Amino acid sequence: MKKNSPKKAPKNSLARTIEPYIWIAPSVILMAIFIVIPIGYVFYMSVSEISKAGLVKGFAGLENFSKVLGSSKFSLVLKNTVVWTIMVVVLSTVLGFILALLLNNKFKGRKIARAIVVFPWATTLVIQASAWKFIIDTDYGALNTLLKSLGIIGANVNWTPTPEAFFAWEIACGIFVTIPFVCFTALSGLQSIDSSYYEAATVDGATYFQQLFNITLPLVKPSLTVATVLNIIYVFNSFPIVWTITKGDPASRTDTLVTYLYKLAFYNGKQGEAAAVSVIGFLILLVCASVYMVSTLKKGDE
Amino acid sequence: MNDNIRVNWQKLLLRILLYFVVAVICVVILYPYFVMLCTALKSRAEIFSINGTVLPLNALWSNFVDIWKKAPMAQYMLNSIIIAGGSTAIAMVCGIPAAYALARMKFKGQTAFLGFIIVSQMFAPVVLLIGIYKVMQVMNLTNSLLGLIFINAAFNQAFTIWLLRGTFMSISAEMEQAATIDGCNRIQAMMKILLPVAAPGIVTTLIFIFINAWNEYTVALCLISTDTIKPLTVGINIFNGYNMIEWQYLFAASIFAIIPVVILFMSIEKNLTAGLTAGGVKG
Repeated sequence: MKKNSPKKAPKNSLARTIEPYIWIAPSVILMAIFIVIPIGYVFYMSVSEISKAGLVKGFAGLENFSKVLGSSKFSLVLKNTVVWTIMVVVLSTVLGFILALLLNNKFKGRKIARAIVVFPWATTLVIQASAWKFIIDTDYGALNTLLKSLGIIGANVNWTPTPEAFFAWEIACGIFVTIPFVCFTALSGLQSIDSSYYEAATVDGATYFQQLFNITLPLVKPSLTVATVLNIIYVFNSFPIVWTITKGDPASRTDTLVTYLYKLAFYNGKQGEAAAVSVIGFLILLVCASVYMVSTLKKGDE
Repeated sequence: MNDNIRVNWQKLLLRILLYFVVAVICVVILYPYFVMLCTALKSRAEIFSINGTVLPLNALWSNFVDIWKKAPMAQYMLNSIIIAGGSTAIAMVCGIPAAYALARMKFKGQTAFLGFIIVSQMFAPVVLLIGIYKVMQVMNLTNSLLGLIFINAAFNQAFTIWLLRGTFMSISAEMEQAATIDGCNRIQAMMKILLPVAAPGIVTTLIFIFINAWNEYTVALCLISTDTIKPLTVGINIFNGYNMIEWQYLFAASIFAIIPVVILFMSIEKNLTAGLTAGGVKG
């Protein structure tokens, strides 16, 4: 596949070989300084002994990792993160896809409906989370006020009796803000499907669900896969929702990896352990992503 | 005859069901915004009263005015504009040539570069905060707008390049080649011929980056401690005190932070989703 560059103009060919690198240089430099160096530094810190002031005092081997993995909180935090990621990604994918199927019908007001679905996507998470924190408050929350004025409940209901209940609401909020992204990517996939497939299937007497599983889903799958992979990464790393509503409290029972490491680093002065948590989180995501990449590469070979 | 009527009835019922379900979903989606607006119009006493009502008893529009006095809102907003604008500018200046090279040239390390872009997505700024903080310290950029601008620009590079590469690849290179034969150099060919054709894709990318930077919270929370250089997302938490939350002001300020972004987002939603999935399938 190697292209033999013409030998008559060596100067020109050298310029040609270098040219693409000049074009990508600004981008590479930007990412090198602000992404690659921080990555390197986090890995370096994860194997270093760090003073409370954040200074590296020496090599610590895997001590930070063993401290993190040995702490009683960590398994809880890891479990929370897995529950959080799977629940938010799976449910928002299913609900977002159903919403896309609905919006793919032609009806009056569809444009308005689409515009409304944009709202949670465009709103910054910290504001969305603040709104939900207010809605579910026991004493003066909007949900209790609404249900009382509708006559559904007589007295205030405590929607968050346990930390787990708080966490469930945080998951609900996560689903709420993730649905639009899935919905719109699925919708752009749906709209590129040729309607003749459905016409043919209808002539053959296929039911709605047969069409859904045999035509729609396979054709929308590429769009949904992209959305799902991006969502796994974003949801896994999502910080503002949990931080705004509970800060991971009490006693880490609503912590995910990112809120946990934020507290370790900036509240407890344990930057080495925080870096170790970062590395663990990255390794988990890397495994997930390579599974995806291997599967898409295989698809490319077919 | 009878069959026809039955089919029509069925269609009508499905239609009604569709409208009903979509309407319910829209109401649920808008509910938090409705709550924010109603709360922003209430007095503090009314919010915390035992017999609260859904709608404000008498709408206190003055809350929307008060926040500009109670907090440096104008300053926060200006900071958000500077951060989002600056991040977008740097992300585009670095991203356009990179996307161009990926779409139009062949070079060693191309796949590696694309691979790195995907892997870089796995590192959210929050995971790297300790490292970012260190880099900022060394460059003397902690607690500065410029630092935030660089971070936002860098973490949005992947999306910028991803979206723009897709846009450029969907445009035929023939015109540019013809222009090169006529004596244009690559830069001229790109500026004069490719970029105008790619304008819709570029505008979509630009707005998307702007919104991302405008909405960014975590890095700003960690890096910025001086009140006068906080962006809106962090600044409005001035109403979110340790002991009491001034919900009416928090939500009034939030509405100012949301509106511009929602409008911008509506304008690009169609192009954006098409671009994201197209880039994904091709990449």
